[in-house]
Amino acid sequence: MSLLEVSTLRAGYGPVNVLVDLNLVVEEGEIVVILGSNGAGKTTTMRAISGMIARSGSITFAGQSITKSSPDAIVRAGIAQVPQGRGTFPELSVEDNLRAGAFVRNDDEIDEDLAHWFEVFPRLRERREQRAGSLSGGEQQMVAIARALMSRPKLLLCDEPSLGLAPLITQELFGIIASLNRDKGLSVLLVEQNANLAMKIARRVYLIETGRIVASGSSDELSADDSIRKAYLGF
Amino acid sequence: MERFLQYLFDGLSIGSVYALLALGLVIIYRGTGHLNFAQGEMALFCTYVVYQLGEWGIPIGFALVIGVAVGFALGAVVEVTLVRPISKKSPFAVFIVTIGLFQGLNWLDGAIWGDQILPNSAVSKQANFPTLFPSKDTDFVTILGAAWRLKYLGVLVLVLVLTAVLFFVFNKTKLGLAMRAVASNPESAKLVGIRTNRVLMFSWGLAAAIGALGGVVFAGINNSVNLGLMFTVFIYSSAAATLGGFDSPGGAVIGGLAIGVIENMGAGYFPEWIGQELKLGVALFVIVVVLLVKPSGLFGTAKVERV
Ligand SMILES: Nc1ncnc2c1ncn2[C@@H]1O[C@H](COP(=O)(O)OP(=O)(O)OP(=O)(O)O)[C@@H](O)[C@H]1O
Ligand SMILES: [Mg+2]
Repeated sequence: MSLLEVSTLRAGYGPVNVLVDLNLVVEEGEIVVILGSNGAGKTTTMRAISGMIARSGSITFAGQSITKSSPDAIVRAGIAQVPQGRGTFPELSVEDNLRAGAFVRNDDEIDEDLAHWFEVFPRLRERREQRAGSLSGGEQQMVAIARALMSRPKLLLCDEPSLGLAPLITQELFGIIASLNRDKGLSVLLVEQNANLAMKIARRVYLIETGRIVASGSSDELSADDSIRKAYLGF
Repeated sequence: MERFLQYLFDGLSIGSVYALLALGLVIIYRGTGHLNFAQGEMALFCTYVVYQLGEWGIPIGFALVIGVAVGFALGAVVEVTLVRPISKKSPFAVFIVTIGLFQGLNWLDGAIWGDQILPNSAVSKQANFPTLFPSKDTDFVTILGAAWRLKYLGVLVLVLVLTAVLFFVFNKTKLGLAMRAVASNPESAKLVGIRTNRVLMFSWGLAAAIGALGGVVFAGINNSVNLGLMFTVFIYSSAAATLGGFDSPGGAVIGGLAIGVIENMGAGYFPEWIGQELKLGVALFVIVVVLLVKPSGLFGTAKVERV
């Protein structure tokens, strides 16, 4: 049984379906990347999985169907999303942003987790009282990732974390994601435009075009394929 | 000095009522970005309910609890049945709906309770609108020669306590965090698992409940309730929220108290210039000046968002 199984997914906004018959799986402990051009339906896929838009077909997570679940039930089940464009709470402090990430939890280890993520992202600790909206783009992306991790997800959905960030910051972030995967077994479904970088940390790749998966395989296989390399990796 | 204090006390007392309604306006504005034009009329309906309960011999403390609960239910129902479906289609239409609600509720009050001033000896068992605090002519404290009637002083204390409680809820509880998160970014609030619909329903309920308290308290100061009771209060409250900053609960309270004091000082010190008729104008003038200097209000936050 895979951790996440998406099959014959249809989803969109209003009458028109953006996704038609989309299938993908994420195994436990994997980093999987979705590549595709602008408007291909990557964000729509993420939003359908987290229950933010109307969808049909079948989505199962850890053996349970979440096709009809509400966003809060999906977070409770163990999926957290870092939305495209970060989506921080700009008026709230960095600390409150992270605390909001733990909204669905009722245990008493929230303060410990907060301290832990401040260890991982020391820049956030320095700015914990500061309003998130006043942080730099890279710092806000860290807030968004740390906020998602505060819910203790099994699967992290990460929508273009590198968008608008300097290469060095992107590398730092990808390093953190890779180490979370390695050390904690966090599964990750990553959407990226920066294919080179993404293929380095991902085990498997899906290519999406106008709402359909058009190719998939291991990172090595796909980067060996000439036509795909030209189209997505640019060399 | 004596005169100054008197105007100050009167201003603070009446300003407390503005503060209560302004708090409600701010809670709704922060939650859904709407100006609830019916805030005053929702409060008035609850005030009539409390009057009616008084007629049936129910003591004011208990009647107030029911009135506030009715307010909460009214606010929550309005959000779920009117505001939510309509704001999906057009946010501007919500403003029109709240104007319709303003009219409709006032009409309903008139249909049930008539257009006379209540209580009145022809139809009422009660002599005065019931008050929460001692209200006999001898119930006052004297501070430096100025008299502060207990029923006025009580209102101010009530508002300050309520503000402290709300401040605590907003800033120190999970519910408050959820309300602030929804106000800041509803999409992301959903993504972290907050049931934003419930939060908005609760916000409207809370706003209307606080408004109900304001209406009952104001009718108590006024000794009576009538169809026009809350209209000017609503105007002043909107002004208070604007002055304090529409996204700042603390600003709403300070704005309300400030406007109460300004209008009373103006009317008191310059009776022939300003008097009762022009005091609203003075308050509004002060607000315009403040907004020219600080467009987001005294305590409001200008939106800064880096991308
Ligand atoms: N809120 C919306 N309402 C209507 N149509 C939308 C909405 N969001 C996206 N779409 C449409 O759905 C299609 C897929 O959009 P989506 O955001 O999923 O693309 P994407 O692959 O994430 O692209 P990008 O790389 O630019 O982020 C596009 O044609 C877009 O115009
Ligand atoms: Mg996208």
